[in-house]
Amino acid sequence: MSAPKRESLGLAVRYAYRGMRGGLKGFRIFIACLILGVAAIAGVGTLSSSINEGLRANGQVILGGDIDVRLTARPASDSEYAWLASMGQISSVQVLRAMVHAPQTDQRLLSELKAVDDVYPLFGALTFNKVSGELSTAVYPALMRKNGVYGVLVEELLLNRLDVGVGAQLNIGQLSFEIRGVIKGEPDKASQGISLGPRVVISTEALDKTGLVQPGSLLKYHYRLKLKDGVRVEDFRLAADADQGDVGWRINDSSNGAPGIKHFVERVAMFLTLVGLTALVVGGVGVGNAVRAYLDGKLETIATLKCLGASSSFIFRIHFLQVIFLAFVGSLIGLGLGYGGAVVASQFLAQALPVPAVVSFQALPLMLAAAYGLLTATLFSVWPLASARETSAASLFRDFAGKKKWPRPFYVLLTIGTLITLMALAVLTADEAFFAAYFVVAASAVFIVLYVVGGLVQWLARNAPRSRFPVLRMALANLHRPGSATASVVLSMGLGLTLFVTVALIEGNLRAQVQDQLPEKAPAFFFIDIQNTQIDQFIETAEQVEGVSEVNYVPNLRGRIVKVNDIPAAEVQVASDVKWVLHGDRGLTYAKDIPVNATIVAGDWWPDDYTGPPLISLAEDAAIGMGIGVGDSMTINVMGREVTAKIANLRKVDWSSLAINFVIIFDQYTLAAAPHSNMATALAPDSSENELFRAITGKFPNVSVIRMKEALQTVSKILKQLSSAVTATASVTLISGILVLAGAFAAGHRKRVYDSVILKVLGATRRDIFKIFVLEYALLGLATSVIAAAAGWLGAYIVITKVLETKWLDLPWTIVGTIVISVGITILFGLFGSWKALGEKPAPILRAE
Amino acid sequence: MTSSPIISLKNIHLTLNSDAGPVNILRGIDMTITAGETVGIVGPSGSGKSTLMSIMAGLETPSDGDVIICGENFKGMSEDELACFRRDNIGIVFQSFHLIPTMTALENVAIPLELAGRADAFDTARIKLEQVGLSARESHYPTQLSGGEQQRVALARALVTEPEILLADEPTGNLDGATGDVIIQQMFDLHDGHNTTMVLITHDESLAQRCDRTIRIEDGRIAGDMVAGAPVEHEGQSS
Repeated sequence: MSAPKRESLGLAVRYAYRGMRGGLKGFRIFIACLILGVAAIAGVGTLSSSINEGLRANGQVILGGDIDVRLTARPASDSEYAWLASMGQISSVQVLRAMVHAPQTDQRLLSELKAVDDVYPLFGALTFNKVSGELSTAVYPALMRKNGVYGVLVEELLLNRLDVGVGAQLNIGQLSFEIRGVIKGEPDKASQGISLGPRVVISTEALDKTGLVQPGSLLKYHYRLKLKDGVRVEDFRLAADADQGDVGWRINDSSNGAPGIKHFVERVAMFLTLVGLTALVVGGVGVGNAVRAYLDGKLETIATLKCLGASSSFIFRIHFLQVIFLAFVGSLIGLGLGYGGAVVASQFLAQALPVPAVVSFQALPLMLAAAYGLLTATLFSVWPLASARETSAASLFRDFAGKKKWPRPFYVLLTIGTLITLMALAVLTADEAFFAAYFVVAASAVFIVLYVVGGLVQWLARNAPRSRFPVLRMALANLHRPGSATASVVLSMGLGLTLFVTVALIEGNLRAQVQDQLPEKAPAFFFIDIQNTQIDQFIETAEQVEGVSEVNYVPNLRGRIVKVNDIPAAEVQVASDVKWVLHGDRGLTYAKDIPVNATIVAGDWWPDDYTGPPLISLAEDAAIGMGIGVGDSMTINVMGREVTAKIANLRKVDWSSLAINFVIIFDQYTLAAAPHSNMATALAPDSSENELFRAITGKFPNVSVIRMKEALQTVSKILKQLSSAVTATASVTLISGILVLAGAFAAGHRKRVYDSVILKVLGATRRDIFKIFVLEYALLGLATSVIAAAAGWLGAYIVITKVLETKWLDLPWTIVGTIVISVGITILFGLFGSWKALGEKPAPILRAE
Repeated sequence: MTSSPIISLKNIHLTLNSDAGPVNILRGIDMTITAGETVGIVGPSGSGKSTLMSIMAGLETPSDGDVIICGENFKGMSEDELACFRRDNIGIVFQSFHLIPTMTALENVAIPLELAGRADAFDTARIKLEQVGLSARESHYPTQLSGGEQQRVALARALVTEPEILLADEPTGNLDGATGDVIIQQMFDLHDGHNTTMVLITHDESLAQRCDRTIRIEDGRIAGDMVAGAPVEHEGQSS
């Protein structure tokens, strides 16, 4: 017998089309599950790519120039300035935190002070409302001295907090200003980082007269450049290296105008994409169920085709084409909804975004989302399709079916290959491959555990002692009967609930830390820019306020790590959680004694009278992250001078105490002569806070005061916003699980009707049948939610205690709430799918059978 | 009849495994059918008649014994090879019709020809539908046809490739008497026109009498084999 001729692909397409003529009723859940997951991934990807594109396109405006050169605590020298000016048009901007005082209301406030020159801004425009209400962009004229008074532009928040209006007097340092406008738009705000107060803009000329510029003041000097024609960014960087070397400045260019925001957006987008992918995989369970249910109804057709001469591979191809077509349709709809969702979300985020909230068509994220959708559909449908392929044509002649056959090895390999492709795509397209890999492995582990546990629940139900209550017995029997929804409900709802519980517990713990626990032990205030000549009087003033205790102060300088063991900082291999240590300026201090909240874990502290070569004490986690220890060296640029110091000891630092802590502490000798200011903290009861605030700000106008409660509130607000985004996306996973639940119940509807009819024939009332259904769904929901709560608790516990290394707080109501909601949802959807069965009359059903 | 056997079954045994344990369906069947014969297979429910037919069609593999159809031994043939053979040589009519619900009457009839890659599939199918008197219903779906019309479509589908063998499992089981008679008459007319070998499972003794030969199956064995009233000898079995 010669090899059978393979049916053509065109014929398979025709048969696939004919097979779908009967309608797609059974595929509604299939398509819905795919739409949801693909929409979530497409939406997140489109929004984040649009934001990043906006950041790139508006790089010059956000940065304030083609290039931004930043020096901390010292201005550029004459030669450095001359060199910069030779590269293009230059604009000087100085940024610091400073207290402002409204004498009219005697209110004081910490502000983000920015001093600008007459060229600012090089790109974009700062818009403000003048006294007349008219919108203007003429910044410097508004700041110039008129009638002996300099002008200041402020954000509306400042007017509200100080209870003053435009035209009022505002004191900054030793100088009085007139408020001449309310800032409406600040083009380079995004590149400045986190704000602890409202923006205040003055001229550089005025700043010099405020008395705030003192040796060691925490002032950042920005030199923005509009490069001259023919000079590219790369040329500038090369020339800076060659001509200036490492003078301690940090160079940023417009291709990455707001690196902090870009990094933040990418991190959040990556996490949300992974969560969206989890939702899609959960939906994949629904896809698999729908395909299985569809094929169960097609077995007769499959057997008939085989009788008529169709090959098994033809059978597979027909139905696989149907699945892929539907997956394509579902993915396409998901892409559209995702794109639309991104547009809607951008409107809500418009206030928070540093760039215009314009969502543009981003091909790559959409293609990726579609690829995920098609791969997920393939992954969950190959197995049931391959099993159906093995349907025996002889089943048409026989009343009983033989044992179900396993798919052939090729299809098992195809399933595994699709899974690996899906996982690889998730990891390789992520911003942080390691994090993505951990997430994928963790989600897979939870998936496998839930699959096994689903089987365990059925085993327990099967082997439970027979109850003397028939309703309970029948409800338990429904959990393990062939074709029950137990396994897929535990898997899909379980995964969604686990993610939900994990996120809720982590968020709850972090919020409690920031809002409740931290404030208990945190100092009431941080005071910065205290001059050496002021420190004694400062302590005396603070301690005079009733209730104030523990006034601590330390010298405060800024520096940047340029080398580690002679390796340039940019080339050092460092763990991702301590990358921040080598990135940008660090706070530095020096000390004779071991800090109160520190424990030496390696090496020795220097003696009281030490005057030898530079030594440093390094925080233990930074040392571990950089793979260095006692005896290694670090080269730190402090105000333009490079200091190479040996690591004398490692310190364990409790960052959560919010006491003054530094990654690097110098010996008491090396930096003592360097120009610097001081930083102090004070513990004060709530009743004394205002008095302490007034006493210090009144006597020391140059000292900036950070109220810890407000700072923690800012952090808490950011945390809340983040948590909302994550919770919303985690909810998508839960909704996906609910869809699968609904689909599983709908698929079992016919069987449920038949069962109800037979029970009625045998004498059961509708009330009896209702109780069986409710109990079955309640048991299913309870089993699922208990498992999810346990898994979610474990995941959150590991993150809080091992990854974030903070204390764990039990949140029992989160767990209880999850269980109650889960049981409620399962009962609701179960009854929704079964309600009709209660009212069915027996006769028509029995006749049809 | 002196033609060579078109169906030859030698010592056929079939045991099926189910969740309830092994079930012996056929217990040593020896049978030959010559080309052009019409054979009625009768017997009580559960005797193995339908299983015997599925073995002849290559839908079931016997646990033991040889199945030789149109000179081809089914032993060693793969499932796809059997499917192709069936497509080209055997037509099957079922009691429950088994039309594809999402295909029209014309498309249902054309299936075997499409699977064989025939360019004239639909033209030939149209002719066959006309032969069974349903050319006016070619665009109708099975749910739009009566039981008798569905069975006539199934008959047209079974004969569209002009197979050597026609197997019919209770073809009138789901039809009323008058309709059933029409179907049977059409089957015999088509047999007469093409000299197709016909094997017919039936409970209807009068229908069995219309066949050249009647084989009785009981408990998985041949219990009787009559040709025009006279018994036919089988190896190791008495008629």
